Amino acid sequence: MSWRATTLNVSFLTLVGWALFLGVLTGRADLVIVAVPLVVALVAGRRLAAPPAVRIEHVVSSDRVLEDERLTVRVTIRADGPVALAELLEPLPSRVRVERGCHHAFFTLRAGEEVRWEFALRCGGRQRLRLGGPHVRLWGPLGLAATEARYRAPQTVAVYPHLTALRHPPRPVRTQTFVGHHVSPAQGEGIEPGDIRPFAPGDLVRHVNWRATLRHGALHVTQHHRERNADVVLLLDTLSEVGPPGTTVVDAVVRGAADLAAAYLARKDRVGLIEYGGQLRWVKPGSGRAQFQRLLDTLLDASVVFTYVSRDLDLVPPRILPPQALVLALSPLLDPRFARAATDLAARGFDLVVIAVSPATAARAAVRPGPVADLAARLWDLERRPEIDALRRLGVTVVGWDGVAPLDGALAGLRRPRLRRALAR
Amino acid sequence: MMRLAAAALVAVLVAFPVAARPAAPITWLAVVALAVGGVGVSVLSVTLVTIGGALALITYALALVLAQPAIDLVAATVFGATLVLLLALVHFAAHVRGAILGRAVVAGQIRRWLAVVAAGVVTASGLTAGGGALLGPVLGGATLPMVVVTAALGALLTAAGVIALTTREGPPSDS
Repeated sequence: MSWRATTLNVSFLTLVGWALFLGVLTGRADLVIVAVPLVVALVAGRRLAAPPAVRIEHVVSSDRVLEDERLTVRVTIRADGPVALAELLEPLPSRVRVERGCHHAFFTLRAGEEVRWEFALRCGGRQRLRLGGPHVRLWGPLGLAATEARYRAPQTVAVYPHLTALRHPPRPVRTQTFVGHHVSPAQGEGIEPGDIRPFAPGDLVRHVNWRATLRHGALHVTQHHRERNADVVLLLDTLSEVGPPGTTVVDAVVRGAADLAAAYLARKDRVGLIEYGGQLRWVKPGSGRAQFQRLLDTLLDASVVFTYVSRDLDLVPPRILPPQALVLALSPLLDPRFARAATDLAARGFDLVVIAVSPATAARAAVRPGPVADLAARLWDLERRPEIDALRRLGVTVVGWDGVAPLDGALAGLRRPRLRRALAR
Repeated sequence: MMRLAAAALVAVLVAFPVAARPAAPITWLAVVALAVGGVGVSVLSVTLVTIGGALALITYALALVLAQPAIDLVAATVFGATLVLLLALVHFAAHVRGAILGRAVVAGQIRRWLAVVAAGVVTASGLTAGGGALLGPVLGGATLPMVVVTAALGALLTAAGVIALTTREGPPSDS
């Protein structure tokens, strides 16, 4: 670190020049004397010892938070020698706001003195927040000289989407072999009553249906449906996006996908993820908290990547997209490639539910509200309706969601076909 | 608070020429200097404050030429010290705007500014005592070519300093 002159020197020099010029021009000694304090300040401001070494410790309270959660940054500064004025500035990305304190501070330090500085941030949307460490600037007396350095302590904080509990996630038609929360059409051990049949050797006495036994005059037992888990694959459309940063349709899609993943994983289902966009990324179906973390980390990076290459879902291996899986497609249905992919999945016999996120709501956040915006939004919704109806005619279940209200409200009205009817199709 | 102090310093600057020669042209020029300096203080712009200070200096020179009072070196020293304080204060206020200040920052700055100003005043007093008697006759009796050459040299050196500072590679951002 070495001292450099600041532009304040120009101001001092300008006034010195004027004072000398006017003094000589008018022949007045007092005008020359006016320049003396300015010249002394210029000389005093530049006669500096080498800048003292400054040690900085930069600590962030957490490396993963939910959006709108508070994040505390603590900076400790210690100087070997006296520092007249130290300026620290932590650069912040656009979607982060300071909630408490300030990310810009000035301190005066004695030799060996340690100062702690703390401020709280609130992150406005899902992102990988990169805090690179503060810029440090040491000022000389009067601000005529300064030295700058960047303290590099790159720390990444994962800001996950805020989760909303889902009470009515779409019920899968087909189930898997492991124990779960979904009633399987298969008979076996469970609590949901199924068929009644005559008693057979090996049946448990507690399964005897006494009412049917008395009516038929022979022992009958109640069979039960098994409770099984299901495979759920979340299919995200990242082919296009609309809306201001932080509230785009892709952000809404990601928020909905996180809610669905949390709801199904809580029901012991295996949840996978396919990001269908410029890049085709996926997460193999799995269960448990580690899987949820994997899904959240993948959702964090979901974004629109422009490419001329058009990929097909045929590329996705069956272990990622199991044939018995419930596929939940979240899309604004702006790109015809996604509608084609959804149609293709339905034709291949997948249990498919399309959650159509309205792009008009996201777009309206970017424009000034008014009657023209209202009319444009209504026209846009009308234009999208034939496309949604075409999907419905193909037997695909489509649920409309504005992307702002809780997803549970949109899913509450969803009626899935009965198990047997669905399996008979 | 810092704006108020800076505004008071601007008012002190423009009071000097009006006090030296309370005439209409001087007053009008002082009002212009006050307006420019006031705007500079309100938006915390060092450039505008510098222009305001230069205008006040020109007005002061004009007032001295018109009034032709006896040489007042105390007033000149105070004028120069006020200019130093004004520039330092506005520069500091512009940088700390919106930032948090650790304890003793403002007190420490004021202490340093006053130390520098005191050094300026002592130097000016030394020059006054030692060379004041020398400067007046030299400048007063200077012939026109000598005045022009000295002024041109001063302007040239100042311009060279300004150019050297502004074109220097990678100076610390001052905004």
